[in-house]
Amino acid sequence: MTRQQRQRLHTSVVFMILLIASTFVIVPVLWMFSTSVKTMEEMFSLPIKWIPETISWDAYQRIWTDYPFGRYILNSFIVVSGATLISLFVSSLAGYGASRFRFLGRTAFLTFLLITQMFPSIMLLIPYFQLMKTFGLINTYAGLIFAYISFTIPLASWLMLGYFNSIPKELDDAASIDGASRWRIFWQIVMPLALPGLAATAVYAFIVGWNEYIFALVLTTDDKMKTIPIGIGELIGQYRIAWNDMMAVSLVVSVPLTILFLFLQRFLVSSLTAGAVKQ
Amino acid sequence: MAIKSVLVNLSLSILLITSFASTTAQTVLRVMSSTIVESPEGDVEQAIADAFMAANPDIEIEFIGTPMNDMFQVLTTSAIGGELPDIFTNTAEFSAQAQDLGIAADLNDLFDEDFLAGFYPTAIEEGTVNGELIFLPWFTVPVGVLYRADWFEEAGLAGPQTWDEFVGAAQALTQDTNNDGQNDRWGFAMVGTKNGSGFFRFTHLLRSQGAWELYKDADGNWQSDLGSEGMVNALAIYKELHDAGLVPPGVTETGYGEAVSLMASDKTAMMVTGPHTIGAILAQNPDLEGQIHSVPVPLGVDRSASLGVGGFSVAATSDNKEAAARYLEFLVSTENMLEWNRVTGRMPAQIEAGEQPQISGPVYAGFVEAIQISKPMPQAAFYTQIQEVMGEAYQAVLVGGVSPADAAAEAGVRAAAIIADAE
Amino acid sequence: MALNSNQSLRKTRSVPQRHFNQRQLAGLWFILPAALSLLVIVAYPLLYGFYISLFRTNLLTRWDFRWFQNYIRIFTSADFLQTVFTTLKFTVGAVAGQFVVGLSLALLLNTKVPGRALFRTILIVPWLFPEVVVALLWKWMYNPLYGLFNDILLILNVISEPTSWLGSTATALPSVILTVIWKGYPLVMLLMLAGLQAISQEQYESAEIDGASWWQSFLYITLPNLRNVIMITLILNTVWWFKHFGIVWVLTQGGPINATSVISIDIYKTAFEAFRFGRAAALAVIVFFIVFLISFLYQRFLGGDE
Repeated sequence: MTRQQRQRLHTSVVFMILLIASTFVIVPVLWMFSTSVKTMEEMFSLPIKWIPETISWDAYQRIWTDYPFGRYILNSFIVVSGATLISLFVSSLAGYGASRFRFLGRTAFLTFLLITQMFPSIMLLIPYFQLMKTFGLINTYAGLIFAYISFTIPLASWLMLGYFNSIPKELDDAASIDGASRWRIFWQIVMPLALPGLAATAVYAFIVGWNEYIFALVLTTDDKMKTIPIGIGELIGQYRIAWNDMMAVSLVVSVPLTILFLFLQRFLVSSLTAGAVKQ
Repeated sequence: MAIKSVLVNLSLSILLITSFASTTAQTVLRVMSSTIVESPEGDVEQAIADAFMAANPDIEIEFIGTPMNDMFQVLTTSAIGGELPDIFTNTAEFSAQAQDLGIAADLNDLFDEDFLAGFYPTAIEEGTVNGELIFLPWFTVPVGVLYRADWFEEAGLAGPQTWDEFVGAAQALTQDTNNDGQNDRWGFAMVGTKNGSGFFRFTHLLRSQGAWELYKDADGNWQSDLGSEGMVNALAIYKELHDAGLVPPGVTETGYGEAVSLMASDKTAMMVTGPHTIGAILAQNPDLEGQIHSVPVPLGVDRSASLGVGGFSVAATSDNKEAAARYLEFLVSTENMLEWNRVTGRMPAQIEAGEQPQISGPVYAGFVEAIQISKPMPQAAFYTQIQEVMGEAYQAVLVGGVSPADAAAEAGVRAAAIIADAE
Repeated sequence: MALNSNQSLRKTRSVPQRHFNQRQLAGLWFILPAALSLLVIVAYPLLYGFYISLFRTNLLTRWDFRWFQNYIRIFTSADFLQTVFTTLKFTVGAVAGQFVVGLSLALLLNTKVPGRALFRTILIVPWLFPEVVVALLWKWMYNPLYGLFNDILLILNVISEPTSWLGSTATALPSVILTVIWKGYPLVMLLMLAGLQAISQEQYESAEIDGASWWQSFLYITLPNLRNVIMITLILNTVWWFKHFGIVWVLTQGGPINATSVISIDIYKTAFEAFRFGRAAALAVIVFFIVFLISFLYQRFLGGDE
């Protein structure tokens, strides 16, 4: 076998494995789709039907008419964008600081970031609620944003630390000799280089926030302020689970994220390259 | 001088504007409801609230929809944070907790005796903890057995009166209807999940065997029969139904919603449940109209029935108790109770509404009978822990390979420990 | 000239000193927003948790100070050890599974295979669904009557009759872990992929010239280069999944019997069903220390400079 043949064999084996792995993702998603267009009757018929005989798009209509999902999407979008922007800003500063400077409390800070994530969130609900109430933030976008940055900032900071570590420190030193201030070095010289890493961190923070359930459940009581996961949770009533509606909503709200990722991914992966690994 | 008069004028007009605003400002009643997010329940509830607002323009009803599954978590968090809504959903299971937490106002102070006398006395009793009326009964869901009258008739069976008849009917109706060698219809939609729906149904079987999960003895001390012979018998009946294949596969995964779907999709013949399930089944499969009849919980050594009262509490912290009382009084009118019954199948909590011809016939026969003999749920703040023990016991027997005797013994020990711990 | 040299001398002498202080301070300024905002948001809830763990309380009408009684009771109950053991099995399964799947897929995606951009997008999809959706989707697929899982396995003749995967004590935990792996591997994959792409190709080329096998390259080039990203991933994943609640709750609520009763479910029931907030908080504090210990051990054994 020549080297080229070996290479070709190798590639086709890899291709096959990736194909099989992808079916483990695609089949459940197709099953979601199939369920979403089934009538109640076919959903509960035996033996089960992979492809429904009558395709019903009613569920896709109901999610806009019977439930305020338009509003939920808007809420989710505002809250999650807000939380993402804030955590990006704060974490790039923190990541840069921890990457470029050795100072007293640096290790303590990095450990503190992890510690904030170690307490079970169920027991954080009540104190969060009290805190938000004290500041009048129940049922506000700001309240949810604050709750969300409490778990997006720590990992985002760690990720940004990795990206900054991979940008040569000589750049800073050169600029420093030219008389640039710390802030200018960070903002005008290093930050532009870290933009791809920032995009990756943004996607991470966005998705984590987009999927959050338990804080949104407790911190919003007003229907007008609920987020998408809460809306989906309400489809699991005590008396029935609206499988088709639920699957339809889940697919619809995941489409924008998937498209976003599709566009960003080339950019993302090569950008993740820059960071994450600290040499 | 001129400046001073301007200031006076200004402050006067501010005063006027604010006082004017406050006199016309509406009282906003915040109502946390679990039924408002359900369908078709939510539509009826909203329509009633709209009618109330039309009649009382000074009051605005603002619903806070919370799924029952998350209800008490959200409620407790709001209570501890001092943000309770004015009115909230409550049930007989939670009333003791609500009283213990001090979150519900005593409704005896808000409603007069004559008005409360219009309700079934047992319904009022269920809502009363330590002399305080914790919630106003709105509907009842007495428990009985729903069965497919068409299939029973076909097989020459009558609605099961005893557990032996129940098992026999389940046996006869478990079938392979399309002859592919595998059963596709089962006798009994058993709810075997370890949650409130499962506990509640098993409780009725348990009580029909003469055992009570929790009760106060003559000296006023809490006792539990979870270790008794009656518990062994109850577990044995569950085991028999399961091991003989008379329930659909995956019994510990079958929650209330799954069981309703099984009934609605012609997969099962019987279900232990309340009249509200009829509405849920018909919503999924309207062809079953009139095919679902009811009998009381089968007889063991004893009759077992509970009222299953649901209603609304007024928050102890509410500033709008009068308005809240007005809304609740409007809500529980005979007319509204009948409409609620017509759409959701839940039965009226008021005697006058309960005596209307709408609440009769074979569909309701079993439940009407159940109301007469219903017994209250125990009112202890630690009741959920006892239920949890019960749930582990029946799951251990169903899928854990534990014998009914061993499971009962274990449950008895744990129940005793919980009672001791609570005191 | 003298003045000049004197000046420059002073400069060189003082610069390192001043520079050092500045670097110290500048670093602190940069981390200040993150540290402050987290302190404001997280410190009170954390301290509150520790505080109420010393009480027997429903947080409203009962506040009995009991020192460490909650902890003593927890440590002396047999159920607690059982729960911790189940949680450890769950965590190990979830973290190891996600790690193996994530790393393997990242290795495959790091080769020059046709359509890898498409594969990358498809394989990331489970991460895009909310937890509640993933849990319900899998619950629906595991359904013994209407589920896809049984149907496929019956067609493939792996099983002869429908099985209740979430309803049997033997299969419930593995089924839950499988769901969690499906949900969680994409993040690991992304982080690993990033790490892999940062390794310079030259290292592999020179190894190949030296006649190193694929396995040797993996062991001596890939893994050491990935050490930091592996450690961060493992620590974060362990922290998350050890205290995980949502997916397990929707799938099994801790059942059947107590086969999937992880510690968060215990905390939830103690707090919001039994209203024993003191005991629930004590459990949470214990989780905190267990997780802390585990991440300490990771750092100890995997090393790493952070």
